Amino acid sequence: MNSDREQILNRLSRRAIVPDLPAGWSSRRRFEDLAGRFEHALQAARGEVYRVGSLEQAAGKIASIFEQAGVERVVCNREPVVVEIGVSLVRSGFELTFPGEAVDFRSACAGAQAGLTAAVAGLVETGTLVLHGGPGCSRLVSLLPAIHIAVLASSQFTGDLFTWTSRRAGKMPAATTLISGPSKTADIEQTMTIGMHGPKRLIVILIEE
Amino acid sequence: MTTTVRNFRQTARIALDDIRLQNALDGATGRFRKERDQALQELPDAEALRDHFKVVRDATLADLGAHLREFESNALKAGAHVHWASDAAAAREVILAIARRNGVRKIVKSKSMAAEEIELNAALEGAGFEVIETDLGERIVQLAGEPPSHIIAPAIHKTKEQVAELFQAESGEPAPAEIQALTEIARRRLRQVFLQADLGISGGNLAVAETGSLVLVSNEGNARMVTSLPRIHIALIGIEKIAPTWDAAAVWLSLLARSATGQPLSIYTSILTGPRRPDDVDGPEEVHIVLLDNGRSRLVGTKFEEALQCIRCGACLNACPVYREAGGHAYASPYSGPIGAVISPLLFGLKEYEALPHASTLCGACLEVCPVRIDLPRMLIALRQASVSVGLPSGNEVRAFRSAAWILAKPARLKWVRWLLRVLQTPFKRGSRVLILGFNLPALAATPFRNWQRKHGRR
Repeated sequence: MNSDREQILNRLSRRAIVPDLPAGWSSRRRFEDLAGRFEHALQAARGEVYRVGSLEQAAGKIASIFEQAGVERVVCNREPVVVEIGVSLVRSGFELTFPGEAVDFRSACAGAQAGLTAAVAGLVETGTLVLHGGPGCSRLVSLLPAIHIAVLASSQFTGDLFTWTSRRAGKMPAATTLISGPSKTADIEQTMTIGMHGPKRLIVILIEE
Repeated sequence: MTTTVRNFRQTARIALDDIRLQNALDGATGRFRKERDQALQELPDAEALRDHFKVVRDATLADLGAHLREFESNALKAGAHVHWASDAAAAREVILAIARRNGVRKIVKSKSMAAEEIELNAALEGAGFEVIETDLGERIVQLAGEPPSHIIAPAIHKTKEQVAELFQAESGEPAPAEIQALTEIARRRLRQVFLQADLGISGGNLAVAETGSLVLVSNEGNARMVTSLPRIHIALIGIEKIAPTWDAAAVWLSLLARSATGQPLSIYTSILTGPRRPDDVDGPEEVHIVLLDNGRSRLVGTKFEEALQCIRCGACLNACPVYREAGGHAYASPYSGPIGAVISPLLFGLKEYEALPHASTLCGACLEVCPVRIDLPRMLIALRQASVSVGLPSGNEVRAFRSAAWILAKPARLKWVRWLLRVLQTPFKRGSRVLILGFNLPALAATPFRNWQRKHGRR
């Protein structure tokens, strides 16, 4: 394939004067109420947001959501807040599986009714969660179960895609996923339908500090 | 890509006579247009953002080779394999070789225009691989054995009843003609396929040179499945879809979904940087990125370079009065609408796609909505000129235009020809129409407009 590489690169002659790439964009959009905007934007895409004041309340809220939805088996990412919340969920009788605890974690994800993760950031403008895959953090926990619950702290808010990428530092993990609502499609007669391949419900537990 | 575009009129005629398709096209393109407009109006600085993006895309293409080299080097550092393909055959060969080497059986695909361009499915199936499209719209057209008809909504032309029939034929189980139920059926069937597949093939919305990352957007989540579950992931992407930096990528993403569907962002944006790392829980063990040229590099530095700024949002299709009536299939190319009318002849041959630059009213609606402000009308005219200069128009067409030029050169000639035609039309006149040689034309008025205006128009 080397010959193809050389051929292509040879054909791509550099323009005599190459214009400078402009500096990063910064939006004039400002939001006073960050949590309110995040909630509004995510709800517009049919996501759900519950605000709580502490980790303890978060665990309580999650337990009640699980009970209402009849969830028993839950897969979790090994992140500090999830581990902490997990302790009280196990006490409430839910069956939690973390990466490394199942012989086949992928099958555990496929068989679980809910997935529980944290998020590394929340983009306020678009109501978007940022998730990293990596050690202890599966890509499938937020993808295969019908319900995905993500725990986000209000201190993790950033304005938008532009502020998030400008803050980005160092190497990218193998997988970064931005999630802005439950899975959906409009491919049959342009009718919006929730729950195509990914979770049918996306629930954000927002811990306000 | 085998249909000659001389058939544009015929295929368009079929679409025009299909009332159901006309309603579907009106509904879908109308909705996309409205939602796109609203999404951009919501931004206080949308016009400036588009200007900014134009500068980004232009500056990127001015030194595309350097950005591609940087992308390659960072993708390699992240552990991905990078392949370069001069043309469609080379790209197919790379992908087939990877599939063969790994003893692959079942392949899942997420939507990729580049894969349509190189007719990848036919090649894979011809080599004995089972290929399953996983985007709902793409799966529907795959089961129907048809090409997609819209960049964003491939099955725009299918009703729920037709989808139910296709699903029933495939599974042998009854499928109700109800959209929610059909979605659920597709979810269950494709979930099994995802878990069994050993190779995932995707396109790429953009590649970010700064980190060697590939970015994929989807609403359904199929792109996440395709890039997370199988052991091997191959991404096929055009060499022009490079964002040099994350700052540039952010601008790109903020305009892509807004222009395509009116969403601020798609539901899922996957940023993939190499295969799974040693301690990662999951992800593909092997990642291959195939950089596809197929005629693109030839355009760099020409008056058609601007066409490479396209990010495949589909906004120009929804705005185009010709696409909105004729639909995607009339273009007989994976790329339809105004952008398709420009890049199909440029990438696949002016001779084969000579008719497409003429399938436009040059109204400029495409330029108005393009997030990169690509001057498609300019290039449509330039392609018409190019086709004349290589002698593609038919003899009759050339004679007709030569005659018109001669007649219009002098007012006296025009006056005389007008008089002559008014006399000649008399035997063929039926009311205000003239029926001749199978044409139904408006009759020439008894009094020319300029005479009428001289008498009544001016005060």
